[in-house]
Amino acid sequence: MFVTLPEFEYHRPQTVSAALDLLDQYGGGATVMAGGTDLLVDMRYRIRVPEHVIDLKGIEELGKLTFQPGEGLVIGATVTLNRLLEYDAVQSRFGALHDALEDMCDDQVRNRATLAGNLCTASPAADCAPPLLVFDAKVEVASPAGRRMVDLPDLFTGVKETSLGTDEMVTAVHVPEPPPDVQSRYLKGKRSSEDCAIVGVAALVARWDDPRDRVVRLAYSSVAPTPVRVYDVERIFRQDKPWGDLVEEAVSAALNRVSPISDVRSSKEYRVHLIDVLTRLALRELLGGRR
Amino acid sequence: MTKFKYVGRPVPRVDAMEKVTGSAVFTDDIELPGMLHTKLLRSPHPHARIVETRTDRAEAVEGVVSVVTGRDFPFKLGIYVGDRDVLATEKALWVGQPVAAVVAETEAIAEKAVQLIEVEYENLEAVFDARKAMEEDAPIIHERLGEYRTLPIFSPRPGTNIASVFTLKKGDIEKGFAEADLIVENEFSLPQVSHAYMETMCFIARHGADGNVEIWSSSQPPFIVRYLTSMSLDIPLSKIVVHAPYVGGGFGGKAGLNFEPLTVLLSKASGNRPVKLRLTREEHFTVAAIRPGLHATVKTGVKKDGRIVAEKIVYVFDAGANADYAVNVGRAAGYDAIGPYDIPNVEAESFTVYTNKLYATAFRGFGHMELHWAIERQRDIIAKKLGMDPIEFRAKNVLKPGISETGTGARLREDAANLEECLRRVGDALEWGKKPAKPKEPWKVRGKGLAVLMKGPAIPPNTASSAVVRFNEDASIELMVGTSEMGQGTLTSLTQMVAERLRVPMEKIRVASLRGTASTMYTWQTVGSRGLFMDGRAVLEANKDAESQIKQIASQVLHVSEEDLELAEEKVRVREEPWRSLTLAEVVMGYMYPGGNSIGGPVVGRGSYIATGLSVLDPDTGQGNPAVFETFGCQGAEVEVNVLTGQVEILKAFSAFDIGRAINPLLVEGQVYGGTVMASSIALFEQLIYQEGVLLNPHFLDYKIARMSDAPEDMVSISVENPQEDGPYGARGIGELTMIGMAAALGNAVSNALNIEIKDLPMTPENVWKAVTRQNPKLLERAKRYLKGE
Repeated sequence: MFVTLPEFEYHRPQTVSAALDLLDQYGGGATVMAGGTDLLVDMRYRIRVPEHVIDLKGIEELGKLTFQPGEGLVIGATVTLNRLLEYDAVQSRFGALHDALEDMCDDQVRNRATLAGNLCTASPAADCAPPLLVFDAKVEVASPAGRRMVDLPDLFTGVKETSLGTDEMVTAVHVPEPPPDVQSRYLKGKRSSEDCAIVGVAALVARWDDPRDRVVRLAYSSVAPTPVRVYDVERIFRQDKPWGDLVEEAVSAALNRVSPISDVRSSKEYRVHLIDVLTRLALRELLGGRR
Repeated sequence: MTKFKYVGRPVPRVDAMEKVTGSAVFTDDIELPGMLHTKLLRSPHPHARIVETRTDRAEAVEGVVSVVTGRDFPFKLGIYVGDRDVLATEKALWVGQPVAAVVAETEAIAEKAVQLIEVEYENLEAVFDARKAMEEDAPIIHERLGEYRTLPIFSPRPGTNIASVFTLKKGDIEKGFAEADLIVENEFSLPQVSHAYMETMCFIARHGADGNVEIWSSSQPPFIVRYLTSMSLDIPLSKIVVHAPYVGGGFGGKAGLNFEPLTVLLSKASGNRPVKLRLTREEHFTVAAIRPGLHATVKTGVKKDGRIVAEKIVYVFDAGANADYAVNVGRAAGYDAIGPYDIPNVEAESFTVYTNKLYATAFRGFGHMELHWAIERQRDIIAKKLGMDPIEFRAKNVLKPGISETGTGARLREDAANLEECLRRVGDALEWGKKPAKPKEPWKVRGKGLAVLMKGPAIPPNTASSAVVRFNEDASIELMVGTSEMGQGTLTSLTQMVAERLRVPMEKIRVASLRGTASTMYTWQTVGSRGLFMDGRAVLEANKDAESQIKQIASQVLHVSEEDLELAEEKVRVREEPWRSLTLAEVVMGYMYPGGNSIGGPVVGRGSYIATGLSVLDPDTGQGNPAVFETFGCQGAEVEVNVLTGQVEILKAFSAFDIGRAINPLLVEGQVYGGTVMASSIALFEQLIYQEGVLLNPHFLDYKIARMSDAPEDMVSISVENPQEDGPYGARGIGELTMIGMAAALGNAVSNALNIEIKDLPMTPENVWKAVTRQNPKLLERAKRYLKGE
């Protein structure tokens, strides 16, 4: 850990195309910065030593935050966590995302950190990732070749690794409008009241009353090299079986999908235990008396 | 209520405005002309011989002024045992030990150049566990232990890793156990933890070409820094001035000597220019001293009626690579080994042991939080085995004023603190005997627990303080005391004492915020909860002296005897005829008669205090009187535990201390809240986690400390005030006490809630889950069944 940042050139473009020009020009030597709460720490540790830092906060387009029925939520790359937390649509329709935001880092960091940054850091412990995975979010990626939409699971390729090319940047996160009766939660195992996830579980339920059309989704953080969604769950809950059996199957499916490790934050055994109980707690909270 | 105007009143802190507005000066705020900056190179190895150090590449960097290694500074440092290198010289003893330093024009240059120093190491076998370090074939960390300058009250064992051992013996231990109806033996442990004070350490030193040395330090004890720097570096004391700006929290970590000698030597090596050394938080975690870990074995013999008849204790303190201060932690924990209990037969050994980890120093509580964790958990375990109520079991055995004898054989004074009253008060507050309310979720459980505690200042028998009360022309006062202000608020309490006695409003009394050895009065150290008591006693003496000088002058002018005069409302007046008076302003610079003749002169009250009646404890048995006062108290808590996750939530936390008198109830409350949260944090979260000597959590991301949202919802401070005759206005110290019992109280509450016995800290969710899995798996199964809706 250094006191000083490594030397770099600072750029503050006003448009996305200007930012892309800079990325194109400097190739691998440049990095984009939104809130900077991960980047600057990495730079002080010399984990990342970019020669050019392209600050996106001057680009008006990237600050947009909208919700349109039918279209869903569009979150620009420089929208801070606290702005999102205070956005009505997030609280009313995207419960799991709201849970995650409320319990992320602390108030001061949330004033600066962004959702797009959280995803691009691609930490296995990213709190926003499991909620966005169960909401089928996509990221909008821009490059000199144009814009493309990337399914969120395809963004994460490994521990703190993404599929983004050196000339690409995330401009927004798109979250489709969920079914009207959707309910979702994000629960996380922590060492103290303010902590990154030891295990994070996002659960989503919609159209519960019609077993054939039922939507149940689960996604996790801190249990594998990347945040993961357990797709088997959807099929499991469409079976005509007693509730208890469905939950058992879902927990097994989750445990089959994940690969938790032991580290300074938790043992593997405790993570496995938390996956089990937090999954059950989340489903129980969502379904309450309806099952 | 108090009969006083200032003492006992909840007045705001004298430094409040300065701190709230940001104008308060801390060491890092200070910039000197021509000041240089330094960065340290740290050892990557836990135990390694330094074969060769090459500095030429670092020296070649533009802006580098000097590059030094341990061999340049062949001095040994330490307050009690001189075992500490300025920079690692022959061997590096822990991962992170500074081995070399670069001084440069800027911090950035120093940081860059320090990476270019090349050190060749020869790795040695290391030892990380204190009990393994005591084994015969363990690698020796300090081969020269026998040669170190050591205070004679300590007993190092050269040729081993035992830096010191303290032995306590009272009665006949074998006879005691023979009389017992039940013998209970348990082992307890606590890991090393960090002080995590808000202000990271900072030092500035200037070693002048004329040999004069000035030091600015974020230090608790400027006078000890001066004394030890003089002794270790062989610089005459009279040539050293230590400035002590505000300190942003110390908790013992800034006691004794830290990096002051290094900074002085760096200045000397850099053309006598001033040098600043400031540590980042991350550097702190690998460079600065920490609290020792403890492994305790406690064996207790009790009668069926609950009387404790014998206790045998072994404490092993994990001091890390240096024990220069930690030996006294081990000693203090040794003489207070059994806590506030009257036990006729006692045998305790308290070892302070070297390991290849971060080195330990003083920490709020000075070994007492650690030892109370062990013995107060043990008390609950015994009470349960006896089928006795934990309060009744304790009440039967705790020290009672005027009657009981402590572990060191000192009879408790008649006006000693009343522990039983504290115990009952906390019991009442917790509604002891009444079952806790049922939690909302069926997989959560609640429990209550409490712990009693004691501590006095762990000080040399001749510890002293002094004070001066100096009047100005307008009868305002400069109060000169050596106590450092590190958040505890003693300066406010001392100001209240001056206002009370000299009848001057508090706002007319000033304690300079930038003080130091040259500009204020001597006090030993601001440690051990001693400031209010000892500096307070000196202030009372100074008050008395000033008052007598004022009366002497006024009696001549008013033609009455001094005894008939009193001070009131910034005047000196005749008690029976209050209209006959002089304003203090007329008197305190000397009185001038209308004709011009003057008498008296400026009033300067001086006061001194030295601890009296303390003994050098018997080297074989530890018997004697180690403390000028003992504060007793009780802390209790109600907790809710999530059986599924192991998470503990503190619902209520109550503390009762018999502090004799609360000079400022607001400050007492502040100490209680701070101590409660700090102890909760240590009980539930904090631990330095190592792998082969490498610290795995050297930052606040993974070294968890309590945030506001972890503080107990309901925190209450209960004041018990049985004054001590020789305390200032009857007061005893409080600072450290507020965290000593809380960890054990929480351990008792969590154990009670889960019907298990927790013996090791911290009680992290994972550790609690593991303990439940091992000791009460049925509880977890039941909780899981609730979850399934069965």
